[in-house]
Amino acid sequence: MVEYVGTRHSRARSRRAARAAEPLARRLDWTLVAAVAGAVAYGLWAIAGITRHDVPGNPNYYLVRQGVYAAVGGLGLVGALLVDPSFYRRYWRALFGGTVGLMALVILAGAATRGSKRWIDLGFFRFQPSEFGKLLFVLALAGFLADRARRIGEPRTTLVAVGLALVPIFLVFVQPDLGTALVYGAALAAILFVAGTPWTHIAALGAGVVVFATAVLWLLPAAGVPVLKPYQVHRLTQFMNPTSDPRGATYNITQSITTVGAGGVHGRGVAGSTQTNLDYLPEHATDFAFASLAEQRGFLGAAFLLCLYLLLVWRGLRIVTLARDHFSALVAGGIVVAFLFQVFVNVGMTMGIAPITGIPLPFVSVGGSSMIANLVAMGVLLAIYARGRERR
Amino acid sequence: MASASSTANGRSAPPAVADPPRLVGGFRTRIAILGVVVLAVFGVLLLRLWALQVLSGTHYLRAAQNNQLRTIRVQAPRGPIVDRNGRVLVTNVPGISILVWPTDLPKDGRYGELHRLAKLVRVPFAEIVADIRKHSSDPLAPVTIKESAREPEVAYLSEHKQDFRGVDVARTSLRHYPYGSLAAQVLGSVGEVTQQQLASKRGYRSGDEVGQSGIESRYDEYLRGQPGVVHLRVDSLGRTRSAPSPPTEPQPGYEIRLTLDARLQRAAEQALAYGIQTARLNGKWAADGGAIVALDPRDGSILALASNPTYNPGVLVGRHPHRQLAPLLNQKAAERANFPGVDRALAGTYPPGSTFKPVTALAAMEEHLVSPYDTLECTGRITIAKQIFKNWDPYIAAPLTMPVALARSCDTYFYQLGYRFWKLPPERKQPLQEWARRFGFGRPTGVDLGPEASGLLPTIRWRHETYTKTTDACCWQIDRLWKPGDSVQLAIGQKDLAVTPIQMARFYALIANGGQLVTPHLALDVEQAGGSVSPPIVRRPFAPAPPQRIQLDPTALSTVKLGLLEATHESFGTSNAIFGTFPVPIAGKTGTAEKHVQLPGFSGMMDQSWWCGYGPADNPTIVVCALIENGGHGGDAAAPAALRVFEQYFGVKAAGQGPVYSD
Repeated sequence: MVEYVGTRHSRARSRRAARAAEPLARRLDWTLVAAVAGAVAYGLWAIAGITRHDVPGNPNYYLVRQGVYAAVGGLGLVGALLVDPSFYRRYWRALFGGTVGLMALVILAGAATRGSKRWIDLGFFRFQPSEFGKLLFVLALAGFLADRARRIGEPRTTLVAVGLALVPIFLVFVQPDLGTALVYGAALAAILFVAGTPWTHIAALGAGVVVFATAVLWLLPAAGVPVLKPYQVHRLTQFMNPTSDPRGATYNITQSITTVGAGGVHGRGVAGSTQTNLDYLPEHATDFAFASLAEQRGFLGAAFLLCLYLLLVWRGLRIVTLARDHFSALVAGGIVVAFLFQVFVNVGMTMGIAPITGIPLPFVSVGGSSMIANLVAMGVLLAIYARGRERR
Repeated sequence: MASASSTANGRSAPPAVADPPRLVGGFRTRIAILGVVVLAVFGVLLLRLWALQVLSGTHYLRAAQNNQLRTIRVQAPRGPIVDRNGRVLVTNVPGISILVWPTDLPKDGRYGELHRLAKLVRVPFAEIVADIRKHSSDPLAPVTIKESAREPEVAYLSEHKQDFRGVDVARTSLRHYPYGSLAAQVLGSVGEVTQQQLASKRGYRSGDEVGQSGIESRYDEYLRGQPGVVHLRVDSLGRTRSAPSPPTEPQPGYEIRLTLDARLQRAAEQALAYGIQTARLNGKWAADGGAIVALDPRDGSILALASNPTYNPGVLVGRHPHRQLAPLLNQKAAERANFPGVDRALAGTYPPGSTFKPVTALAAMEEHLVSPYDTLECTGRITIAKQIFKNWDPYIAAPLTMPVALARSCDTYFYQLGYRFWKLPPERKQPLQEWARRFGFGRPTGVDLGPEASGLLPTIRWRHETYTKTTDACCWQIDRLWKPGDSVQLAIGQKDLAVTPIQMARFYALIANGGQLVTPHLALDVEQAGGSVSPPIVRRPFAPAPPQRIQLDPTALSTVKLGLLEATHESFGTSNAIFGTFPVPIAGKTGTAEKHVQLPGFSGMMDQSWWCGYGPADNPTIVVCALIENGGHGGDAAAPAALRVFEQYFGVKAAGQGPVYSD
């Protein structure tokens, strides 16, 4: 009987969706769409300049690839827009299982690259599950907390949420991809925060994080139990003291700061950006893309990108308040804060005010997984907004 | 499942979302907090961006530009060194050196790469690492690993460039010695600038090749030229990305013309070897070194400066097996090879023996202790102050005048003069030492080559200061006194007196030129290099320092000159057998000086063979002073060696030699 009702209901839902799709264009947050499109277009333009000299004889190699990813991501965005967010809520257990499964798969089958396993090689595309995992993680966790909305004040709810979240976080951490693990942590914090977790719990969790960080960075190594690899500890702590070893451990950060500063107000242009073109700046198309952009386009160009991000985050935050239901608000909050966190850590890292972690800059850094995953996440945000409008 | 179905029903509020999020306590506050966080994050990012780019933009721009610009010093080719007739003694040959840029070595596996490099260029790995360590203070300067790379090595390196990151080859010029070991100690060597030199002299940079000894060091400022500078744009791996900017061309060094005569120098070195050989054939097994100085008595220009044993300065060019270099660099190995790096003509000190007698003669006549034709008894032995002093020839018994005493080198005659000096009242000071000092003993000659020894001129005061309670615990109270024996022995150039061959040559030049103390010198002038131009373009002439005039009684001087001529020409003269038949009149004095030597397995007194003199006797143009270490009597080894120098100089051969009877 349940199956029968379900089938009838689903038929009715698809009819409703068809009705809803027609005015969907009018229910879109066009400002956010414009911000996303602007960020993607600006990112493509930036990458065109940054990678001009990277592949000899083919100045547009990365631009074309990024363009293809953006197009695929655009399709993903539209697809996500058509899905009712409550669908995710119903299947949050499956989503959670999928997230954990993907992470486990990376560890089992991932191709080893530079000492870390972060990719699954699909032949034509190197798939980085932890990027997509961000969105799945947010959806699953939001589903759990939405189910427990009435019992949000109980310590048990918070503990179970943290416990659930720690499984994929741990799996990402051991890849090892410290940066993405931190992004997951930020999303977890945001969802708990938006869900209304009592301040006492948040304070306790904060204290726990501080104790944990101290233990990992200082106490356990001092006791002879290294948790992080030495380069990870260096990267996390060296931004406090960037001049300590300019030719060794802090080479990246010194060069990155120099690159950003050398851009000046108007930038040095594509041809004149010696730090980027002569490879003084490592990973200038991926992790340090912002520094290259700042060198080539100057303060004006870099600040413009930051303003696009601000607009995007601002509209996202507004969607949190306009969400139709609790679940949607949690999802929107997690997506926005994870996005904000990525922007801050990546941009801050290039300017020496955040630790160096391998977090890509959304819509700019070369990389398909990040581009597609971020666009799909924006699709989910837009869908939440559209459904929130639907109710009125 | 029931709850799920009702959730799907959008119209009725599902239980899980019964409380719309906006109603959850403090939701708006929380969103506001998030908004503040967002603003704070972007505020921080924008402020930091503004600080870096707008406030400090110029600073970082300069840092970025310094990143990619690399300044390379191009060493100027060193100037050549030629002899007085323009024969090239030192010049350059083009070579290829192998360099390492320490900062460009791969971070991982740099030692592996250096190992491969070491194997390829056949330089010990440890030396390469040590060299790089030595330059760690200046990581942006290249370190030369090998100076004279062979063709296959260079070809291999250029074919496998990607396997040898940070390794580079560069054109260089290498010192070349067309005459081999000729005048090795005079010419000196070139080597990488040392830390001390960097600290002391201006204009030296790490990695520069500078003169380390001899003429190369003394006249380095002229020889080294001006290095050029090239700016290169390089990427982070050190690969050149642009054509070198217009370089400052290196200015080649100037040429130094020496007073040396390459042919005479060669003759002197061969004569020295011959003298040592002769001494060994005479049974003087320990004869193993020596020196010959030939100079022009009129202005002090050095015509030949030979020292034995010697070495080939070519071993110091580039990097050679340590076995060859060890005698020059390592104290122990140098001792085994009898110190080939030491220029014995300048830095070797020996008692002069009878060659010092002209000093005693001049001083005694000047102080009126004896007159030229007074006769003193020459005997086989003499007792002075209860001590017995022996003559070298125990059978003689004749009254001698001063010239004959010089010609026969009568020790007992000069013992008596020495005793007369000792008996002088204290207010007369010590005239013998005073005259010796005036003649240039006990102090450096000021020759433009180093290092130079002062020798030792013993005085009452020196004895008093040297022998103290701390230095000579048992006998200092006795040893510190100046005793009759000291004066007696000093008169024949023995005991504590120590001189260098160049001091002796300078003194005989003073006799030859009538009382002028010249300053020996080697450099004639500085010229524009590459000169097939005649006359050569002289940049800076070195005028010889004006000689010091020593007031001497002409009678005393002519008496000594007569004695020296009789020594080589009268039948009783000590080197008559050598020089008697030589077509050009030569005047000179033999010497057999006892020196306390330490040899492997032997410690004791050994005869140092001396001969000093000049020619032509009536109008001298050359002074020759020869010394054979442990070579026996002066007439046996040093005099025949000196004769060969004269033969080369005058271009005539001696008819033959008679049996030698000399001290």
